[in-house]
Amino acid sequence: MRAQRSPRAQAWLLGCAGVLVALAIWTLLAQWLATGGGVINRLPPPWRVLRDLVAYASGELWRDLLFSLRVFTIGWVLGATSATLVGLTLGRVPMLGNVLIPVIEAIRPVSSIAWVPLSIVWFGFGLTSKVFLVGLAVFLVVIVYAIDGSRRIPHDLERTATMLGMSGWQRFRALVLPGTLTEVLIGSRVALMAGWGTVIVAELVAADSGLGAHLIAVQQSYNVPAVMATMLCFALTGFLMNAAFARIEQRLMPWRHDVDRP
Amino acid sequence: MKVRDRLLLPLVGVLAVLAVWQMTVILYRLPVIVLPPPLDVALALVRLLGTHAFWRDVGTSLFEFGSGYAIGVLLGIAIGVAIGESRTFRLASTPVVESLRFIVPFAWIPLTILWFGTSYTGKIALVAYAVFFVMVISTSRSIAAVDPTLSRVGISLGMGRLQLAWNVHLRAAAPTIASAARAAAAIGWIAVVAAEYIGASAGLGLMITNAASSLATPVVIAGMIVIGLVGAGVSALIGWLARLKLDYR
Amino acid sequence: MTAVERPSIDTAAQYRGGAFAVEHVSHEYVSAGKRTPALADASFTIPAGHVCCVVGPSGCGKSTLLGLAAGLMAPSSGRLVWDGEVVRLGPNKHIGMAFQQPGLFPWLTVLQNVAIGLRTRGSARREARRIAEEFLVTVGLGDFQDAYPSQLSGGMAQRVGIARALALQPRMLLLDEPFAAVDAFTRLKLQQELLALLRRYRPTVIFVTHDVAEAIAVGDMIVVMSARPARVLRIIPVDAADRNRASAAFAHKLGETLECLGVTQ
Repeated sequence: MRAQRSPRAQAWLLGCAGVLVALAIWTLLAQWLATGGGVINRLPPPWRVLRDLVAYASGELWRDLLFSLRVFTIGWVLGATSATLVGLTLGRVPMLGNVLIPVIEAIRPVSSIAWVPLSIVWFGFGLTSKVFLVGLAVFLVVIVYAIDGSRRIPHDLERTATMLGMSGWQRFRALVLPGTLTEVLIGSRVALMAGWGTVIVAELVAADSGLGAHLIAVQQSYNVPAVMATMLCFALTGFLMNAAFARIEQRLMPWRHDVDRP
Repeated sequence: MKVRDRLLLPLVGVLAVLAVWQMTVILYRLPVIVLPPPLDVALALVRLLGTHAFWRDVGTSLFEFGSGYAIGVLLGIAIGVAIGESRTFRLASTPVVESLRFIVPFAWIPLTILWFGTSYTGKIALVAYAVFFVMVISTSRSIAAVDPTLSRVGISLGMGRLQLAWNVHLRAAAPTIASAARAAAAIGWIAVVAAEYIGASAGLGLMITNAASSLATPVVIAGMIVIGLVGAGVSALIGWLARLKLDYR
Repeated sequence: MTAVERPSIDTAAQYRGGAFAVEHVSHEYVSAGKRTPALADASFTIPAGHVCCVVGPSGCGKSTLLGLAAGLMAPSSGRLVWDGEVVRLGPNKHIGMAFQQPGLFPWLTVLQNVAIGLRTRGSARREARRIAEEFLVTVGLGDFQDAYPSQLSGGMAQRVGIARALALQPRMLLLDEPFAAVDAFTRLKLQQELLALLRRYRPTVIFVTHDVAEAIAVGDMIVVMSARPARVLRIIPVDAADRNRASAAFAHKLGETLECLGVTQ
């Protein structure tokens, strides 16, 4: 019988093999296309991209990254906070909720990207415009979690609260608020990628500062390796933020398992 | 909730929003450039529907979306099934797929412009990429999550691996794949519009951006409504098709 | 059970099962470097057309035995012999299986569920439907052909599962606690129906159960297994007189088996 490696070792080995195969295909494609192969006539090999990445990192990356992160953080915080407040209100006040929640449900599928031109008309190309778009994107994601969280109080907890004779305010503090905040936290992590993706679109359109602006700049100077390097930076930041937030979520709420992981 | 409530209250909500909108315009005496009254937007929309250019733009965007979507869905499901069925393949491809996932479709826009210019090829590739990733990930997961009892039954009935994958796994995972297809449509549609904001020679996104540059706000808002309606329409269509053929629940 | 017309297949002669022998079979699972023994040197023989009930504590390896008999796994040591031939790894046309969870495909109607086994084994569509229909009538579900599994009760779904296995006209039938998930009354009914079906079609049967009374009611022999790693503790024959639950013989057989399992009354 074949010796069985531990599943983890196997996963690692195969995963690395997969990555190596992907890189090999990339390099081969770059080789083939460089000699006039097809439509994509500028595909730099991986090491060129890596070299540009390193160059970028020892230069302007951090400044651009800071700009982008600033836009993202402000937008994300504003979006999540407003979603929590609105969600709480709509969730607990049936009259408002029944009327306005269908409206929100109708608007939600329309991504905040659709608002980009309007945002430009309203706010121009500056920080406000970008923060608005990111905030809107985050809002639209978190609002569902906020409404759900504020409404979904387990029935027996409600009964216990009644039995203990809790006042409305006490009930709110002990039951509604923690439940809502838990859901909002989860929703805020889901909204991370939505918000970060919106940052890039906003910066691509505005093209004044941040990673997106750099992306446009190198695109316009036909610098393909730099374009790919910038894309990698963007993806890496998104990944790190996601991982960091997942860890925080794990510490704060150890009883919830991460729905995102396979 | 009574049917009357389900219809009446949303209607009230919409009317309330429209009323607030109108009030805001009047109270703050907002110029049309900033926030046009609802009626102006409605008129702009009607006017648009009468122009040839509008339909050409919508048609272009839909064509780009449709082609990319078809490619993305077919490839995504095919490879998703392969990943779901083969443990080796799944382990090998997971790091690559999971990392590429973090490069949101929008980040690819400048690259597609570099490679394909502002023609429709780039947009189709973009949509195909975005849709492919959604479908690959959800298909592989739902195939892997099929009730093992069903697999056991299939094997005991003498099904080979291919038969098992096609007759049992794919059919069992079909409802989940169908809802993923709906979500993918929403993402693909917005990817087209975003790409057209940034670099296009035709399409709905370009039309709206042009309107924004000339501060024709009623047209901008009308365009946003069109984006929403088309997106909803496509989603509903896919949902309906799925329910027809695939959803046994 | 409702009275049924004789199906058009000549039953008794056609698929009377052959003898099945388990010869010094041991099996262990290996995963992540750990070896988990499941069976330890099990040996017994089932005469042709007999029903062998395997009883034992939960998780002791009874299901492993079924998997080995079906050719889904190869034993770590020893061999299983079916009708003179060693059981090989891979699908086996002569075997039908039914599980605790009927595992009906929710996207197919009841009829299509019973027919699909025949289809994957190469029958033409019309032929498969005809046979499937007959067997559904046999288990009393002729009126539910076009229903979907979600519309069936537990007992009905289990009947469909058994019909599906029998429709393959297997010479060996493997049943893995088929009535465990069903309520007590339905279980008694299903036992009677199964008995009648088996008398008619006469495959060789391995019936795994944790319910000793059920084993006596249905089986021709009882193989008592120990806790993991499962060894054969004793082989207890059962005859017709023992099956009457109201009889002293039944109680006696029950006591004997339970004592063997280490459960004293």
